[in-house]
This record gives sequence, C-alpha cells and structure tokens, in this order.
Amino acid sequence: MTGDLASLSHAPTRPGSASAEAPAIEAIDLVRIYHTHVGVIRRRPLDVEAVRGVTFDVRPGELFGLLGPNGAGKTTTIKMLITLLLPTSGSARVMGFDVVRETTEVRRRIGYVFGGDRGLYDRVSGLDNLRYFAELYGVDPRQRDRRIAALLELVGLTGREKEKVEGYSRGMRQRLHIARGLLHDPEVIFMDEPSIGLDPIGARELRQTVRSLVDAGKTVLLTTHYMFEADALCDRIAVINDGHIVASGTGSDLKSAVLNRTIVEIETFGVAPEAIDRLRRDPEVIAVNTEERDQSQILLIQSERGPEITQRLLGSLGDTRVGKVVAREPTLEDAYVHLIASTSSTDGADRAAALG
Amino acid sequence: MTLASLCDEPMTTTAAHLSLPPVTADPGSLRAAWRIFWRGGLMSYGMLFNWARPSIYFPTLIGGPTFQLLFFAALGSYAAGRSPAYFALGNAVQVSALAGIFGMTMAIANERWFSTLPAILATPANRIALFAGRFLPFIANGLFVSLYAIAFGVIFLGVRFEASTLGVAGLALLVTVFSCTAIGALQGAISLRLRDGLFGANLLMLTFLLFCGVNIPVASLPAWMQVISNLLPFTHGLAQVGGLISLEAVIGVAYAVAAFALFSYLERSARANATLDVR
Ligand SMILES: Nc1ncnc2c1ncn2[C@@H]1O[C@H](COP(=O)(O)OP(=O)(O)OP(=O)(O)O)[C@@H](O)[C@H]1O
Ligand SMILES: [Mg+2]
Repeated sequence: MTGDLASLSHAPTRPGSASAEAPAIEAIDLVRIYHTHVGVIRRRPLDVEAVRGVTFDVRPGELFGLLGPNGAGKTTTIKMLITLLLPTSGSARVMGFDVVRETTEVRRRIGYVFGGDRGLYDRVSGLDNLRYFAELYGVDPRQRDRRIAALLELVGLTGREKEKVEGYSRGMRQRLHIARGLLHDPEVIFMDEPSIGLDPIGARELRQTVRSLVDAGKTVLLTTHYMFEADALCDRIAVINDGHIVASGTGSDLKSAVLNRTIVEIETFGVAPEAIDRLRRDPEVIAVNTEERDQSQILLIQSERGPEITQRLLGSLGDTRVGKVVAREPTLEDAYVHLIASTSSTDGADRAAALG
Repeated sequence: MTLASLCDEPMTTTAAHLSLPPVTADPGSLRAAWRIFWRGGLMSYGMLFNWARPSIYFPTLIGGPTFQLLFFAALGSYAAGRSPAYFALGNAVQVSALAGIFGMTMAIANERWFSTLPAILATPANRIALFAGRFLPFIANGLFVSLYAIAFGVIFLGVRFEASTLGVAGLALLVTVFSCTAIGALQGAISLRLRDGLFGANLLMLTFLLFCGVNIPVASLPAWMQVISNLLPFTHGLAQVGGLISLEAVIGVAYAVAAFALFSYLERSARANATLDVR
C-alpha cells in the first residue's frame, strides 16, 4: 500500500493556458441529445441528453484521458470528434479542421480504436482486414506490406495474421483494432476503452504503445475505466459525469481535492443502513461510499482526521460484524469516487460546488 | 493498492518500442479511389458474402438454379406447349438474379451485421469508389452462375444459339446481370436501415419470377403488372433486341444511382440521428 502522494506531487502540473500552439483537439460547448422512443406499443418520444456542454482542448503531443462512469457521455463525445455524430450544438475542431464541415480533412488525420470484439470482418484473415483498411485510408501500396508487418509485430499478432478473425480471441480482436487505427500513421488517435478484453500483459504493452505514440509526437485521447491506467498514462485527465466535465487537470490536480484526507476502508458483513447514516452524521466524516462484494460490503470513509479516527468509526458501527480494516492515503480512485458521488444528481450537488 | 502497482510499472519511454516504418497516405488521390474500387471491391466478396464458402455456394448457386431450369422447362412445355429450350434459356439468364440480388444485398447490408459501418464511415475513403467497387465480384458471380445454367441448358435441354446472335446475347446477359446487381444494391441500402435484408431479397426474387416475362409472357399480364414489369430489370434484357438492351442498361444505372443516393442519405442521417449503430 504505497499510495505515495509525495512522489506524485511533483508530477508535471498543468502549464499555462496561454500557449501559442493551436490545440490538436478543441471541443467547445459540445452538446448531443439523442431522440429516441420508449415503450413498444405506445411509443413515447424520449430525449437523452448524453453530452451537455463539454469544453476542453488537447495540445499536440499530449495524452488526454476522458474518465467517467457508464453512460457519462465519453463515447458520444468521441463519436462527435471523429465525425460519426453531429453535435446538437457547440463545435469541435481536430488539427484545426471542423468536425462537422471538414470531415474528409479530419478523417484522414485521425485514427480510431474502439473497445470490444465487434467491428471486424470475421470471415477473412486479420491481414485482409488490415489490407482493406489500408486501401480505404489510401496508404501507399509500396509501403503497405511493411507497415502492416510492423503493426502486427507491435500488437503481437505476427504469425496469426493469416487466420480468420472469427477464430480470434477477444484480446486478439482488440489488438487488431489497435493495428487498424494506426495504419495510416494518424496525427491524432482516439481510443475508446482500448484495453478492454486485454490480459494484464497485453494491457501493459498497450500502455507502452500508447506512451511511445505520444513520444513519437502523436496526440492521443483515450477513455478508460481503469483509474491506474489513466493516472499512469495521461498528461491530463477530464472526469465526465452525466454529460458534464466535473473536473480536469493532472492526476495530482484531481487528487488534491482529497489530498489531506484519510481513507478508512472497513469490511462489514450485513451493515445496516442506520449504521451508515450514523457514520455520515459524524462531523469529521466527509463522505461514505459503499461497495458491494459477494458476502460483504466495503465502506470507504473519507475524513480529514488522521488514521486515529478509525476507532471512533468502528464504534459508530455498533455490533455490525467487521472484517478487514485499513486506513490509508487517498488514491486517484478515491478522488474519482468522490467526484462522481458528489456530482451525481442523486447525491448532494452542493458538494460539487464546494469542489470547484 | 492499484496505485502501487502502477508506480512499479516500467514505462519504456524510448521510441525503440515503436519502430514503425513511415507511411504516406493520400486518400484523396485518383489512385486511391481506383484501388478502393478495384482491389477493395474484389475483397468485399470474401468479407461480406455469406455464400462465399463451397458448402453453401454449390447447393445454393449451382443446385438451386439447376432445379429452377428443370422445373420451368418441364412446367412450361407441359402448360404452354413450347419447347423446354425456350424456358431453359430464359431461366438460365434469370438465375443470375439470385447471385446478383442476394450477393449485393449482403455486400452492403452485412456491414451492419459485422458492425463495421462506423469503422468504414470514419475513413476518408471515396464513397463512390467504395460503393461501385462492390458491384464487381457480384457481377462476375452472376455471369458465372448464368453461364453455368446456359451450359446446362445447351447440354441437357436443347438450348441452341445461332453464331450471329452470340454477341448480342452476351451483351444482353452482361447488362441484365448488372441491372440485377444494381437492384440488389438498392435492396442492400434499404436493409442497412431495416436490418432484415434477406426477407426483402427473397421477396424480390419471387417478384422477378412473376414479372420478368421469362415464364409468363409480359403481354399476358394485367396492365398494372406490365407497368411493374417494364420498370424491373430483366424484362428488357431478356428481349435481346438492341434498343431494349440499352433500355435495360438505363434501368440498371437508374437503380445503381438510386442505391448510392440512398446510401449517401443514410450516411448523412446516421450522423444526425445516430441510426445504423454508428454511435
Ligand atoms: N443511439 C443512442 N440513442 C439513445 N441514447 C443513447 C444512444 N447512444 C448513447 N445513448 C445514451 O447516451 C448516454 C451516454 O452514452 P455513452 O455511450 O456516450 O456513455 P459512455 O460514457 O461511453 O459509457 P460507457 O462507459 O458505458 O461506455 C447514455 O445514457 C446512453 O444510454
Ligand atoms: Mg463508451
């Protein structure tokens, strides 16, 4: 347990926004509303506000992470940036080109890697999938085969490229997606949960690949649900919840909101709601989040006091059966949980204001 | 606890890991468009055609047409008193519809089945070249199926050609197969949206059998049915007369243009309305 904050505090801080360089990605007040229907027999129209005014920019050569719970609007935001969806309002530019009007210019400069095992031609080989997309991106045929061979090497599919994709494992498909996204050497790469389905080694290799892409001068925007991935990789992170960006900055910027807190993790077996309420009423407790496990519940209690508060917290739980108890320093995950809990419409929107 | 592990993770920041050969891509060039049309078009056969494997291809595209020939040759000569060869020839041309319509429907609509549409639409690829290229393997396939059926008719059902008409007959076949593939493309674009494409393709096949004049002379159909006959592929191509062949070609081009227009419209409306699973 070395959630070592000291070592993280000298991570690069956000440079001044007065940079003369034009951003690689620029989103201004993006809004996307989906018009759908509910009900089978009596279909009533329903508007889903997936993205509600998202503004951010990503500098050339920067690795930017978009983090948020399911349904937060990450994929929708990416789909607007890669020209697949029109914004309901607002605007966005990629490498200076408007994503609504200058689609061809945008498309030739971007790569797009999405998570999941769909979206490939299953009946032909991985190699044929890459060859086909190389044609669609207009890759010079004289360079094509060498490029594809190098990409296969990069994603670890060398030797399997002649097999039909229908026989690929989930992780192999994901690797093929990654290779496809890099075929035409795009300047800006969008990755929507690229590490989904990868084994731990594959995921680590992916992070190294992403890092080296950035080292080679590429701009990368990625989404992930893995906090450590975002923290380890991203120069900057924006946390999106319910269609809004609720915080952005470096990993340590985000952590600073919970920096001086202690996290007490208490494993309980069948904790009563009243006991949790008692904890919440404790003046020195800032937040209580619960995680359901198979048999137990993990209470994550944030407090501004040091670990010495632990005894008192256990006292408040009364005769609740308690398992493991840990007091530790906060991680990015705690900052994230705090941000999401405090900005969700169901739970104290006033706290969001306090966070700034 | 996750934080600890990430701090240990060695970050190879040397670009050695990424020794990718350089590449130049010019998707706007004429050469790129040509390659999308020609090479991409040919590749779409294996990628998107469900029947491209022998275990389905032979029963469906060789076995089926053989029985259609035998069935109508027997039925026609029994009911209409004309020679089996007459019906065999007409049906030998007609069976290319099976390959053209189903093949092309799949070549377009299966993009949705594989969820490859977002990946395709996110590329800068020339859409006309992309769409037109898809016709190539299915025209070839339709020609192959018809030529097989004609050969069967020549060998077993007494179909004969005069040497002087071979050229016209060949042209008529080519044009007919093209217009058939074009209506398949339209059906493909429709079923991109409606999802259940093969139902529509089946319906089209039956419609053709009824309206195209191969087995029932167009002139004997009620007036309103004749109108439909004249708007469908085949009717004119089968007549094998110069003027009518060009009319057939015009009909084919009209369907092809309509198919592409619908495809473009769907692409645009998908961006606006998040249809076609592009989300
Ligand atoms: N085509 C659509 N029609 C209607 N609603 C949609 C559509 N696509 C997305 N939504 C809704 O928009 C919201 C945002 O979805 P989105 O896919 O952008 O979330 P996400 O942040 O990518 O989530 P996840 O982490 O689960 O991938 C969700 O409420 C979702 O149900
Ligand atoms: Mg998503």
